[in-house]
Amino acid sequence: MIVIDAANRSLRAWDAKITLATQLAALGHRVALSASTLPQEFDRGRTYEASPFLADAGDLDASVIIVLSADEFDDQVLPELREQVGRSGARVVAVGRFADLQSKLGAQAKLAYALGREPIVVDLSDFQPRPLLPKTAMPLVAEIAPPQSAEGRRVPGLTIALGGTALEDPEYLPRLARMAHRTAFKLRVVANSEQRELIRGSRYHDLPVVTFTELSPVVLAAGTDVFAVYGQGVPGERMAALAVCVLGAGGAVLDCTEDRAFMSQGAPVLRGPEDPLSLETYLTETVIVNLPQIAQQVTASPWMAGVDIARLESLAGLDRPVPARKSKASGKKPGRTVFMPTNGVGLGHAQRCAVIADAMPDSNKPAFAAFPSCVPMITGRGYDCMPLVQRSDAHIEPFANDVLTYLRLGQLLGQTDSLIFDGGYVFDSIFRTIQERGVRSAWIRRGLWPQGSGSNEAIDREYIFDKIIVPSEAFPELNDTYGSGRSVSLVGPIFRQKPASQADRSALRRRISQNFGLGFDKLVVSMLGGGVASDRTAHLQAISGMLAKQPDALHLVVVWPGSQVAPGLLAWPNTRVVQTLDALQLMLAADLTISAAGYNSVHEILYHRVPAILIPQSAPYLDDQTRRARALSERGLCETIEETELLRLERTVVDCLVRDGQSRLGKALAEVELPEPGAKEAAKLIAELAEADR
Amino acid sequence: MFGSVQRIAPVLFEELDRLGLSPIWDAPEIRADLVIVHNPAFLKRQRDFGARIFARHLVVVTHENFLRPGGVEGFDVGSSLNAIDRAALALRKSIAPISPHNRATVTGWLAEHAGYSNWDLLDADWINVCDMPRTAPNDRPKDRRGRHSRPQMEKFPPLAELDACFSEQAEANVILGADTLIGMEVVRPHWTMLPFRSIEVSDYFEMMDFLVYFTAPTWRESFGRVIAESLAAGKVVLTDPDTATTFGDGVVPCRPAQVDRIVARFVAQPELYVSQALAGQRVLDQYSASVFRDRFCAVLAAEPRWSA
Repeated sequence: MIVIDAANRSLRAWDAKITLATQLAALGHRVALSASTLPQEFDRGRTYEASPFLADAGDLDASVIIVLSADEFDDQVLPELREQVGRSGARVVAVGRFADLQSKLGAQAKLAYALGREPIVVDLSDFQPRPLLPKTAMPLVAEIAPPQSAEGRRVPGLTIALGGTALEDPEYLPRLARMAHRTAFKLRVVANSEQRELIRGSRYHDLPVVTFTELSPVVLAAGTDVFAVYGQGVPGERMAALAVCVLGAGGAVLDCTEDRAFMSQGAPVLRGPEDPLSLETYLTETVIVNLPQIAQQVTASPWMAGVDIARLESLAGLDRPVPARKSKASGKKPGRTVFMPTNGVGLGHAQRCAVIADAMPDSNKPAFAAFPSCVPMITGRGYDCMPLVQRSDAHIEPFANDVLTYLRLGQLLGQTDSLIFDGGYVFDSIFRTIQERGVRSAWIRRGLWPQGSGSNEAIDREYIFDKIIVPSEAFPELNDTYGSGRSVSLVGPIFRQKPASQADRSALRRRISQNFGLGFDKLVVSMLGGGVASDRTAHLQAISGMLAKQPDALHLVVVWPGSQVAPGLLAWPNTRVVQTLDALQLMLAADLTISAAGYNSVHEILYHRVPAILIPQSAPYLDDQTRRARALSERGLCETIEETELLRLERTVVDCLVRDGQSRLGKALAEVELPEPGAKEAAKLIAELAEADR
Repeated sequence: MFGSVQRIAPVLFEELDRLGLSPIWDAPEIRADLVIVHNPAFLKRQRDFGARIFARHLVVVTHENFLRPGGVEGFDVGSSLNAIDRAALALRKSIAPISPHNRATVTGWLAEHAGYSNWDLLDADWINVCDMPRTAPNDRPKDRRGRHSRPQMEKFPPLAELDACFSEQAEANVILGADTLIGMEVVRPHWTMLPFRSIEVSDYFEMMDFLVYFTAPTWRESFGRVIAESLAAGKVVLTDPDTATTFGDGVVPCRPAQVDRIVARFVAQPELYVSQALAGQRVLDQYSASVFRDRFCAVLAAEPRWSA
């Protein structure tokens, strides 16, 4: 195992460590970082970046310890190194950019004294006489890939690093937005935090923007064929590393800086236009069409020898692992499809994914990664499921569980696999996994989003997905358009379908009666949600109270297993609480269903023609349930009761059970024409994704 | 070279005071028959000497070893010597090592580096003067071990070796200058770890009978003043063979793994202990002020007279 450390605990040194760790790991080396070396101030992006490599110092089994930034030693680090080497007996390689011989000898002596043995010292100045930045903690190396033929090329990825003053020009953002819609390249913008907030707050909020520290330069480079850099000087070590990685892969770096910072160091870059407004033309007419030739020129440049990571490996005595040979059969085999539903308020996302999974071809049996509340339902449907960790206020960081999700998805997914995400907010774990692993991806994104910046932020990440699958609402006025992705596919409503005959229904009613020891003529099922989004205890009490006056009725309060139930509900004579994953079955047996207006419930009610009263939930982060419920009630397909209308609720329940409300709803439901369900179409799109060439 | 505050060693200060001489700081020009530059390593981080030297004989005293164990250069010797060379107009330029081991590193370095033939090596070492008061050895020694040094890492061997040097077998293990070990939270119930300068050296010598002095294997003392102090205090000294060369049979050369056995032998035979300690003190006679005075006078006598 290679342990990468640094001679000081600065953030610069950390970035250098994590970047080299990522690069060496990509070459097949086993790499780790000691958790005890984390800098004190650590941002969110770096936490994700570091997590796959972190290990407790006592668990590190190092054969080689690489110490970066050896030209900037902090003596406080020495005892830690001494302890680590003492424990493992590892070989130590110190890497630095030494100003003179004394700096090198001094660093070597410090280490030699601390470790009790001589380190190997690699002076980057020896083979990088003209680095992109004169003083860097990062080695600024990359794997030098052979030039790619023109045939195998994907749509070129264009990454633009904005200069500090770029957005002062009012023309700039509209121009970037126009470039984002070009099919000749796939745009991504690297900006500082201030610029990103400015873009998010503008009408161009869906521009694909990442900050300088949000993704590793290695990951950014993997999606970049052309890197255009603006501003004054090389914009920091991470961007220098990105440029080196792009060049290593035979990509083009456009030096659009005011001071020709890249060209002045002899790097094989192109002089791009300083005026950002001229970039688009230059790209399409000069760069994109000549990418293979540019790659040849870059590869042939003697400057590249100085950034070849193989040189560093050789000096450090690292033997590059031989990659396992792939058999011909495994090369053609499509990868696995993994669904990852969020758990939201109920299990809607997971239910929808399971419905699509059921419709997948036999040749592609999917697996799941899901939160604990969803796992029994998923495994009960016959699918393998990797459990994820639920967010908790007890965690030190609010995103701690998502870091774990990121790690688990990373372990689960290979490059040929597909990740199918169903949820409203694209977690960082998803955002990173897709870009880092290069997996195929789809986002199942049902509509009726709430308004607000949170929604914008989620939609802004849609560009990372290969496909966006939108399960439609049953009625056209509900199908709003969100996002501007190129691969949005609208499919019919996706929900669980369960054929139930009159005989099945009667049999279930009999079993319910026997089970509870209560005879009934009217069966009422209430499914108002688990109480996370909106507390419905008052409504359930009211319904139970009014049904207590109907001795021929049995009232079942249906909740997910594990949900909390108000104890008061247990006291009513003809109300019973049922915990089940199969609410649909009970709904089909009922005379009346009283439900929230979530996507799944409403479509199950509609398509199974179940008379229902809908009480929409209205938490700000939920979909617009009121609009959905109103669309039905305006067509006479259900009754909609607002959460404050308790008296009207009583009247409506009585109307349905005692008067003709139920039959009126049933008649309207029987006559309504509904669009074709979309599960099969969604499953087909996902199967195509899994089989598509990359 | 003296840090932000220019200071003079107390011994030198007293002598200058007695002679009524005032030091001259930062003279742009140094002119004398004999000019002595102490420790060229002070130039390792600066390119120029910062003054001009005119002399018949320039002597550079090498207080730091030119090479570390394994032959690694101790500092940028070439750059330091070149800076002096560029600054000095002298008929003769000499290098004066301070001990046999230090001499070996100088000769080793010169053998590997061409272009320094204008420097000659003085025949006799310019030793450290060890005129410390002598204390009679303990005729009933116990297994009480100690070491004292500055707390820097080069002064200490790896922890495993330190464990062998200061084992549970000893009645006492006193480590003075253990700041780094304390900082690393090394826990050894059978060690007394004291920070540097936390007690008087005389009190420390009261606590031990054996100096067990090993350094990082990647570093060696150029002279070993700590050893000289311990010999003067009547202690038996165990150290590595390289460091031992300066003190001949006055110290016991060994490896850390041998320490327990050697100490046990001396404790069992107090007369052997006393004999060894006295041998150590006899070696110090080679490093007296009078020996150095004679050696220095010989150099002066060999100098041709200055003529204007």
